[in-house]
Amino acid sequence: MGSVERIVPCPVCKKPAEPRSRNTTFPFCSDRCRRIDLGRWFGEEYRVPSPPAEGEEQPPAPDDASER
Amino acid sequence: MLGKLCGNPLNGTSKHEPAAQAAVGASVPEYSASSITVLEGLEAVRKRPGMYIGDTSVYGLHHLVYEVVDNSVDEALAKAATEIIVTIHVDGSVSVKDDGRGIPVGPHPTVRGMDTVDVVMTKLHAGGKFENSAYKVSGGLHGVGVSVVNALSEWLRLEIARNGKVYQQRYARGMPQQQVTEVGTTDKRGTTVWFKPDPTVFETTDFQFDVLSQRLRELAFLNAGLKISITDERSQKSHLFEFQGGIVSFIEFLNKSKDVLHSPVFFKAEKDGVALEIAMQWNDAYDERIYTFANNINTHEGGSHLVGFKSALTRTINGYAERGGLWKDLKETPTGEDAREGLAAVISIKLPNPQFEGQTKTKLGNSEVKGLVEQMVNEQLLIWLEENPTGAKRIVAKIGDATRARIAARKARETVRRKGVLDGMSLPGKLADCQSKDPSESELYIVEGDSAGGSAKQGRDRRNQAILPLRGKILNVEKTRFDKMLTSQEIVALITALGTGIGKEGDFDPDKCRYHRIILMTDADVDGSHIRTLLLTFFYRQMQELITRGYLFVAQPPLYKVTRGKKELFLKDQRGLDEHLMRIGVDRCAVVQSESDEDREIRGNDLRNLLEAIRQYEERLGKLARRRDPRILDALVQAARVDETTLLDMDHLNAEVEKVHGWLRARYPEVLAQLKAFRKDDPEHQAKKLVFRTEVNGSPKETVLDHAFLSSPEYGELLDLRRTFDQLGPAPWTVKLEEGERVALRVQDILAAVLADASRGLAIQRFKGLGEMNPEQLWDTTMNPDSRTLLQVRVEDAVESDEIFSLLMGEAVEPRREFIEKNALDVQNLDI
Repeated sequence: MGSVERIVPCPVCKKPAEPRSRNTTFPFCSDRCRRIDLGRWFGEEYRVPSPPAEGEEQPPAPDDASER
Repeated sequence: MLGKLCGNPLNGTSKHEPAAQAAVGASVPEYSASSITVLEGLEAVRKRPGMYIGDTSVYGLHHLVYEVVDNSVDEALAKAATEIIVTIHVDGSVSVKDDGRGIPVGPHPTVRGMDTVDVVMTKLHAGGKFENSAYKVSGGLHGVGVSVVNALSEWLRLEIARNGKVYQQRYARGMPQQQVTEVGTTDKRGTTVWFKPDPTVFETTDFQFDVLSQRLRELAFLNAGLKISITDERSQKSHLFEFQGGIVSFIEFLNKSKDVLHSPVFFKAEKDGVALEIAMQWNDAYDERIYTFANNINTHEGGSHLVGFKSALTRTINGYAERGGLWKDLKETPTGEDAREGLAAVISIKLPNPQFEGQTKTKLGNSEVKGLVEQMVNEQLLIWLEENPTGAKRIVAKIGDATRARIAARKARETVRRKGVLDGMSLPGKLADCQSKDPSESELYIVEGDSAGGSAKQGRDRRNQAILPLRGKILNVEKTRFDKMLTSQEIVALITALGTGIGKEGDFDPDKCRYHRIILMTDADVDGSHIRTLLLTFFYRQMQELITRGYLFVAQPPLYKVTRGKKELFLKDQRGLDEHLMRIGVDRCAVVQSESDEDREIRGNDLRNLLEAIRQYEERLGKLARRRDPRILDALVQAARVDETTLLDMDHLNAEVEKVHGWLRARYPEVLAQLKAFRKDDPEHQAKKLVFRTEVNGSPKETVLDHAFLSSPEYGELLDLRRTFDQLGPAPWTVKLEEGERVALRVQDILAAVLADASRGLAIQRFKGLGEMNPEQLWDTTMNPDSRTLLQVRVEDAVESDEIFSLLMGEAVEPRREFIEKNALDVQNLDI
C-alpha cells in the first residue's frame, strides 16, 4: 500500500486533493483552500472540545489492553 | 471563402455575372468582382511580416492558417458555406477547402488588366470587410486578408469551383506564376487554398496539430452547425468538429470533467445589428474561465463585452440573493470575483465594426457594446434565476461559500502582514531562545502550559535548546464543556520562532527553519493530547515539509512516578513500570517447581526470564483476544498439547479437549457454564475443526481451532513461550514472596503475585502534567539527549492526526461526543 501517494480529501472542501508529488498545496486541493485553512487558524475557529468533565477527568486506566 | 470581396446586395452588382449568381442561389448576397478595393502592394508584408501577423514564430505561422480559415468561416457566416476541411500535408504545407461561393474570377472592374483572383491574392486589404456590407460581420484578426498569407508563402496554389467551372492559379512568394486558368467543369463550388510557408521568413514552419485543432474547435463551437475537420497526414491524426449546440456545447466541453451545479444557461439577443450569445455554467471548482469572442476572434484581453458581462452578473445575482434574503449571514457582499468562482462562460458577439485594441489587438474597444451586454444579462439572467430556483439556489450558495472563503483568506493575509510574520525580525517574547544559531544542532521545545514552560526553561541546556511555552486557550462553551484552541497570537509566535514564514511556496520557506528538531512536549492526559493533535494538524497542513524533512518530534515525558521513601523514579510507560517492578521482585521472590524432588526453586535470572516470558505471553494473548475468547486459548496452551496434526486424530483430540475442560473448571468455572463446543469437518485438510462458543462481557464469541489457526505463526509463538513454562512442571505452583506464599494456578498468577509483592512499600503515581516535575526531573526524563526518547513524527502519523482533528471538528455533535469518549485514551497513542 503506497501510503505516500494516498489520496486524501482536502481538509477544507473535502474534494480529493492531488498527491504531494503533483501538488504543492498538499494536503489541500488548491491554494485557495490552503489560505482558507490558515485564515481559520488565525481566526481561532479551530477548537478541540475537551471530554465532558464530570467533576473529575476520567483517570486513564492503565489496563493491559491499552498497552500495545 | 477567400474573399474579402463582396458584392453589395444593395447596389446591384448582378450585371457582371448574372447567370452565375442565379445558379448559386438567390437568397445569398451577390458576390462578384465589382466591389474590390485595392489598397497596397505586398512588398511591405515581406519586409515587416510581424506587423501583419504578429510575429514570425509559432504564433505567426499558425496565424496564416487562421487567416485562411477565417475567410471560409466568413462564407459560413454569410450562410454560403457549411464545411471547412483543413489538411496538414506531409511536406508541411496546409490546405484549406470550403464549399463557399468561390472567389470571383474574371477581369477586375477597377484594377485594369488584372484578374479579380490575382487582385484578391496580391493586393493588401482587398476585401469586402472594409465595406461592411456583404457579410455584415467578418473575422480575420488583423483584417489583412489572404494576400498576406500568399506573400509569406514559398508557394500557394488556388483552386476555385464556381459557375460550373474549375479554375487554378499558382503563386510563388506572392507573385502570380501564370494566368488564372480554367481547368475543367464541376457541379460543386468552393475554394481551396494550399500553401507552404516561406522558410526564409519563418523561424519555424512546423505546424502543430493540437494548436490548430484548438482554434478550429473553438470556431466550430462559435458557429453552430459548421463542420470543420482537420487531418494531419504526417501522423494520421484527425478531428471532426461539428456542434449543433454552438457555445452551449463549448460550455459543456469546458465543464466536461467537472461537477456542475446546474444545466447550462444560454442567452441570445440581437440589437442594432449586433448579435450576442452568452452561455454559462458554474461548477464546483474554484477557477474562473470566461472566453470572450468578437466576430469569432478570441479576445484574450477582454474588452467592453467582458466588462459589461461582469458588472451585470455581479449586480444581478447580488440583487436576486438579497431580495430572497439568501445572504443574511454574510458579513460582506460578494464581490465580482466571488460571483465568478467556478464559472465557465462563453461570450460571443458579432458586430459590424469591431475595434480591436490592446497589446495583441485582442481587446474589444467598442464602447457601445458594454451597455448592450449589461442590459441583456440583467434582463435574461434574472429571468433564468427566477425560472430555475434549484440551480439558482446552488449558485447563490456557491458564491456565499466563495465569499466566506475570501474573508478567511484575507484574515490570514492580514494577520501575516500585521504581525510581521514574514519579516522574521522580532522573535516572540515568550520564546527562550538557545545560544546556538546553527539550526542543525538547535532544538525547539514547544511546551504546553506556563508552569511546565518555566520548568523547561530552567532545566534545559541553553546552549542548543530553546523553549516556547504555548497555552491552549480554554473556552467555556457550556457548563460542562470546555473547548481548547490555539490563539492567533500563539500561532504567530510559533511561526516567528521557527522563522519559516507561512503561506504559499516562497512565503513559507523550510530552509529558514531555525531548529532542525522541533519537539512537542505536552501533558500525558487527554487535554495534552488534544493540544498535540492541534499542533500536529497545523504542522501537517501548513508546514508539511518540516515533517517530511524529519524535523518534527514528540517528547515522551514519563507516565509514572515511583516513590520509595525519598527516592523518586520516573518510568516512561506501563511496560517501563512492569520492568521496574520485575527487577525488584526478582531479587526477593521465587517460584517452587512442582513435582521436583527437593522443591527446586526458580529465582534470580531464571525467574527474570520466566517473568518476561509470561509478560510476553499475556501480551500475545491480548492481541489474539480481539477475535477469540482468550480464556479458551489460555486453557488450550497451558493445559493441552494441540497442534494442527492433532486435528487428524479423533482420540487424541478428544483427550486434549478433555484437558481443556478440566483446566477451565478449576480456573474459569463461569466459562464452562456457557460453553458450547462443536466439532466440524474440515474436508480441505481431511481433518476436524473445533468451535467453542462462549460469551465475553455478554457478547458472544466464537473461538475456532482449525488448521489455519493452529498452523499460524501467532499460535506458534504462544507454543514457544509455553515451552519456557514447562520447567515449572504442572500447576499449581507456589510463589514465595517477601511476605508469605501464594498459590498460582496460571502462569499469569505468578507474574501478578510478584508484581504485587514488588509494589508493596512503593507509591506509584500516574503523571498527568509536566508541571508535576521539577526542572531537574524534566531534564533527566524528557530533555536530556542521553536519556530521553523522542518519537519522530512521520507524515502518516500526521495524516491520522488530521483525521482525528477533522472528527473532533466535525459538525455532528453526537458522533463527535461518542468518538471523544471512546478514543480519548487512544488519541494519546496516535503517534506511537
